[in-house]
Amino acid sequence: MVVVAAGVATPIGLDLDAFWSGLLAGADGLSAIERFPTADLRVGRGGEIKKLPPVALGVRSRAAALLIAAAADLRARADVEAAADRIAVVVGTALGGVEELDHALAGDGRARRALDGLYDSPAHALAAWLGAQGPVLTVSSACASGATALGLGADLLRAGAADLVVAGGYDVLCRFVMRGFDALRSLARERVRPFDRRRTGLLLGEAAGLVLLAREPDARGPRLGRLLGHGSASDASHIAAPDAEGRGLESAIRAALAAGDIGVADLDFVSAHGTGTVLNDRIETAALRRVLGNRAGAVPVNSIKGALGHTMGAAAALEAIMCLLAGRDGWIPPTVGYEEPDPACDLDYVPGVCRAVRPRRMLSTSLGFGGCNAALVLEAAS
Amino acid sequence: MRTRGARLEAVGLLTGWGEGVEALPADARVAAAGRGVIPLARPVLDGDRFRRATRECLLGVVAVEAMLRDAGIDRQAIRGSGTALVFVTAAAYGASNIAWLAAQAGTLHFPYTAPSVLPGEVAIEFGLTGPYVILIGGATATVDGIWQVGRMIAGGQCERALVLTVETFVECEMLWRRARWTLPGPLVETAACALVGPGDTPPAYRATAAAAPLELEVDRRVGRTLACAPLAGCALARAAASRTAVVSGTWRGRTAAVEVAIAQRPVRA
Repeated sequence: MVVVAAGVATPIGLDLDAFWSGLLAGADGLSAIERFPTADLRVGRGGEIKKLPPVALGVRSRAAALLIAAAADLRARADVEAAADRIAVVVGTALGGVEELDHALAGDGRARRALDGLYDSPAHALAAWLGAQGPVLTVSSACASGATALGLGADLLRAGAADLVVAGGYDVLCRFVMRGFDALRSLARERVRPFDRRRTGLLLGEAAGLVLLAREPDARGPRLGRLLGHGSASDASHIAAPDAEGRGLESAIRAALAAGDIGVADLDFVSAHGTGTVLNDRIETAALRRVLGNRAGAVPVNSIKGALGHTMGAAAALEAIMCLLAGRDGWIPPTVGYEEPDPACDLDYVPGVCRAVRPRRMLSTSLGFGGCNAALVLEAAS
Repeated sequence: MRTRGARLEAVGLLTGWGEGVEALPADARVAAAGRGVIPLARPVLDGDRFRRATRECLLGVVAVEAMLRDAGIDRQAIRGSGTALVFVTAAAYGASNIAWLAAQAGTLHFPYTAPSVLPGEVAIEFGLTGPYVILIGGATATVDGIWQVGRMIAGGQCERALVLTVETFVECEMLWRRARWTLPGPLVETAACALVGPGDTPPAYRATAAAAPLELEVDRRVGRTLACAPLAGCALARAAASRTAVVSGTWRGRTAAVEVAIAQRPVRA
């Protein structure tokens, strides 16, 4: 399936160009949170978008506003034109409209506010804004949601259930989730350091990332690349921690490679989940090492969560977009925050500055609460 | 293994009316007698592992057990990477989210606010390590899910799949009451699980469709069950010994439908 174009709204840039130049420059999108109180939390920093673009102002829910901001950026780069009932929307989220649920419980008695609290409400707001009347799917496999959303979007096209699919992911930084990760002691008090020996945890961020997917014959004009395959698997081991051996992640990666009909020898780059937690980065490294085999040291692996924070449902979509931009421009962004090697994390993590490499085929990996694992295999436009 | 298609092998159905289609009233609105929500009790399950599990997680587990009874198979038959799990709900995460927002729950409750934890508990309990999809939405999402598992089986991604749906309403009744113009009651708490296996015909999917007669029968006999409605329809069709059924679902103004082949119930002595 062809990835025609992309649009984003992120803490380091409110459109694709700013996002990409920020990643290449090693920008830091993490700052003190201003939108809600954090004084009672251990950590009050995150990847907060300080000012939404004008197109999103006046949208009732911030989650929907982020999606619409990304969709406006997407629409500025590609026509989303097909019969309305042939345009599908498939988005991933970990939190949906939960901030609106908070408002509904806090005394806003409007029925509409209560419905906005449902996790699929932002996707329907996006579909309405786009004028899309085809299937509208919301995926919520926690922080792996965005990857599965892109995969299901491709499946809809492959099966002929839609002619165009707007697919991706989003999540807002809100008190609900900050309080949760803070209570779990998962948040870093200082900077996020994926794969670094001194890593202590993650920081959360908010963002939306969308791509326009089409079948090969329907994709006109320039394109970013192709989604070759996707895979998912359950850990079946723990509700909040990854499998100690990373078996589910390994299964998801192998399924994505099989679906894309490519071998490990074809991979040029891996965009890792790389949260910066002690456990995730070690387990992910081990799983990648098993899959990559004797190429493990030769394939660059990065994480962009040091720049954006962990944007949850948006993360995998943004990482897929980053992969395709790397293939387009011949630069791989650095792993911001990675400085001191950890013996347990012994891959090439693109330290320091962006690297002049033009990857052609890329793997992107994601994990989430509930034992969710997902992987995408992408190919840059030739 | 690639097959030509998929077939519904079994359905476990638990509703606020009881277990199976035999427990359903002729008319849910009459039977509700003005009640807005028909609740399901919290299942009692053995094991220390479940001490923190939410009611909706436990309902997911017992729905799979009900499906196993209907299929006449044991847990071992679904264990491993050959079984995909697709979970669908419109709102089963609401109770845990409200508890977290109201600060009624402790630190370790936070992961349970994620919709992915309910199928996570089910995956742990039954050892399901195959493909894994979690969809949020009403009945249309379940129709999408049934179609997806048919594609997975036909494409060789798995040998069989569970489509699991859970909806709970009691803890969020005050919010649903505000939106009653959108969802006329009764809201009937339901947990359902379908086992889909290899078959001869791929599920025929219609992304936009009119409501099928079975959808109207579910609405009349069960009440409002959101994502669970298509599986309740599958249970009704299987109980009626239908060999195929058009299962439709409507949510937020869109109706999708899928035609599925249905295995006959084993003859029990």
